[in-house]
Amino acid sequence: MFREILRALKMHRIFIVQELKRFTEYKGDFLTGAVGLLLAQLCNIVFISVIFGQIPELMGWKYNEVMFIYGFSLIPKALDHLFFDNLWSVGYFIVRKGDFDKYLTRPINPLFHVMAEKFQVDAFGEMVIGIILLSCSLPSIEVEWGIGKVLLVIVAIIFASFIYTGIKIGTASIAFWTKRSGNITFMFYMVNDFVKYPIDIYNNVVRSVLTYIIPFAFTSYFPALYFLTGENPLFNIGMTIVVALIVMTIGVLIWNRGIKAYESAGS
Amino acid sequence: MSTYRANWLFYILGDVLACFVSFFVWEAVFISNGGESFMGFDKSDMVVYIFMSFLTGQVISSGGTYNIGEEVKDGSIAMRMIKPISYNATFLFQEIGNKLMEIGVIFIPLVAGVEIYRFAVTGELKFDILKFLIYLVCCVFAYAINFFFNICYGFTAFVFKNLWGSNMLKNTVVSFLSGAIIPLAFLPEVLKNVLICLPFSSLTYTPVMIYMGMYTGYELLFFAGVQIFWAVVFWLLSKVIWKCVINRLSIQGG
Repeated sequence: MFREILRALKMHRIFIVQELKRFTEYKGDFLTGAVGLLLAQLCNIVFISVIFGQIPELMGWKYNEVMFIYGFSLIPKALDHLFFDNLWSVGYFIVRKGDFDKYLTRPINPLFHVMAEKFQVDAFGEMVIGIILLSCSLPSIEVEWGIGKVLLVIVAIIFASFIYTGIKIGTASIAFWTKRSGNITFMFYMVNDFVKYPIDIYNNVVRSVLTYIIPFAFTSYFPALYFLTGENPLFNIGMTIVVALIVMTIGVLIWNRGIKAYESAGS
Repeated sequence: MSTYRANWLFYILGDVLACFVSFFVWEAVFISNGGESFMGFDKSDMVVYIFMSFLTGQVISSGGTYNIGEEVKDGSIAMRMIKPISYNATFLFQEIGNKLMEIGVIFIPLVAGVEIYRFAVTGELKFDILKFLIYLVCCVFAYAINFFFNICYGFTAFVFKNLWGSNMLKNTVVSFLSGAIIPLAFLPEVLKNVLICLPFSSLTYTPVMIYMGMYTGYELLFFAGVQIFWAVVFWLLSKVIWKCVINRLSIQGG
């Protein structure tokens, strides 16, 4: 088991190095995508700033707290985007064009191969904004920081990013039956827009969906709440980990069933 | 398009979700604000703005950038060039076909929804058929601007290889400058005046403000004039760019 993980990590590194070589050839490409994502986030920050220019608090949330949650939400999203972006291609064209054959003929796990194949540097745009927002809003938030808490942040962020990955695996797998599911992934993925803001501004229905059905609330609001208030670590962090494991398991189960239903395209 | 109808529907649903995020954020703003108006917009205005700017964005959207980029990359642009009709016209008519179906599906439910909401909240019917017709005409102008702008931008595919990235970069900047994220009226005075002169405010902001009845009389004529001006500018520009790049185009392969 341990040796397999080491082997997988080593292979993932080789994949990433290959991708980076590709980027040195198209340097402009890297900048366009990253700058685009960076600007997209900046526009939303202007939006929030305009609102807080007129009102001191949004349903009891202060400017820097909203910024903290916003920044926190970007980092798991960016991590998943950076490492596992290729899952989008499964739903959009890999299955439809029959290119999935390639993964089945290699001596490594097809899911691992698909996920590791691409290294999407565009994600640095979101990552940079997330880190800037966190570091700008932190000084004004009265929380004591110790080494334990820093470790918790890292754990929470890693598991939160698995929620994204799990949802992407599950929805991408639908393509094995329908040939094309990219837009289903898109629809689920867009739900994450809700959790950039504190979820108690929404009504009960939306809040329940974000917590129990498409649990994006665990990628930002709940873990961020713990770091903002120091309350309820067992629920806020613990449940993030549990939910991430559940979502990932469901995703992989759908994938495993789907891969059996896969039919290649063409002659 | 009709082959992947369900797929398209999911895409639209995903986009509509983003509207609901703004809807809830603004609702929270008005609650925190004690229900007063926010820089001249009251809550029902804001809801109309959010959904109508989304709808306008869909109506005027144009896929020229991406398609041209793809065709330049894989060489299929050659197939368009051997046809005895104008290059732009082939894109235009292809797109109008798709658009009619799209609009048929989302236009009526959204406008009806917005008007019912407005009626329920304010208690009076604010729908004005004349304003609505002017809005539709302005959408046509806005579509013309967007169409030619996208064709101009599409030729950057000669420079950028990352089509997804450059397309997203453009969409982000355009949606901000066109007022799709925040009504331009909320921005600082200087910035607002600059953006109103740029072509992008003609895309979303002008039609939506007209729909909402914020522009009247000479103001209305002025902004419609601005729209026509930019449509002509981008039309000419697309001709010039076409003349320049067509000689540099080299198609790989057989």
